Amino acid sequence: MIEGQGIPTLVIGTAHDIMTQVPPPRAAFVDHPVGRTFGPPHERSRHELVLAKALAELSQFARPGEIRDLKINWSPDGSRAWEDELRAELLRDR
Amino acid sequence: MPFEYLPVMAQNSAPKPARILAAPSKPAWRALDKPARQSRVALLSSAALRLADQAPFIPREDLSYRRLPADPGAGAIIIDHHSGIGRVPRQDPEIAFPRTALATLAAQGIIGKLSPFHFSFMGGVRRHEEIENTLAPVLARELRQAEVDLALLVPY
Repeated sequence: MIEGQGIPTLVIGTAHDIMTQVPPPRAAFVDHPVGRTFGPPHERSRHELVLAKALAELSQFARPGEIRDLKINWSPDGSRAWEDELRAELLRDR
Repeated sequence: MPFEYLPVMAQNSAPKPARILAAPSKPAWRALDKPARQSRVALLSSAALRLADQAPFIPREDLSYRRLPADPGAGAIIIDHHSGIGRVPRQDPEIAFPRTALATLAAQGIIGKLSPFHFSFMGGVRRHEEIENTLAPVLARELRQAEVDLALLVPY
């Protein structure tokens, strides 16, 4: 909606399924829990890395609605254990 | 396989129908005028963020927004969003709103300049028409006044 007002935008998001269903003009996907888009608390270098990687994708967008995967995992070993905790937190939002 | 949020949202809504994901009435595309290293950049967050001396957001249908100084030293960020995911982000709001990281990238020349202000509003509001016809134009006007070339939107 901001883009429709003439301001270029980049969404940096964690919800691939939502961004697929309602595609922003440009989207960078980060495979982190929602609310922790830029990494764990107080890890500034990680926050900068995620942000820099998202910005580096800007020149690659060729068409509206594209989602570019930054290929960043939450856990270094690729563990998905965080999903159970996240699901429980989301279900508290009633 | 990425985490699937939509089934959890549907479960959250039950027994009511799942919330509708509203797209803008008109698809939009605005080409970038400049590369990031020459752009003035602002953050937009749907986490309902504010400074301590700003009025709190009122969950869940608050359509107001807050102007947040881009200077990371300009005061601690408070998260007013009602979502149950807030425990970890409240330990360090930078993980949802990377104000310090963006300032660092500006100092490194990865972006051109910081917008003097970033902006935040309440995500998950169901007043879709008012968001499109009222809130979005006001935020866009703020961004134009700040001469922002690129807005980074971080959903919460």
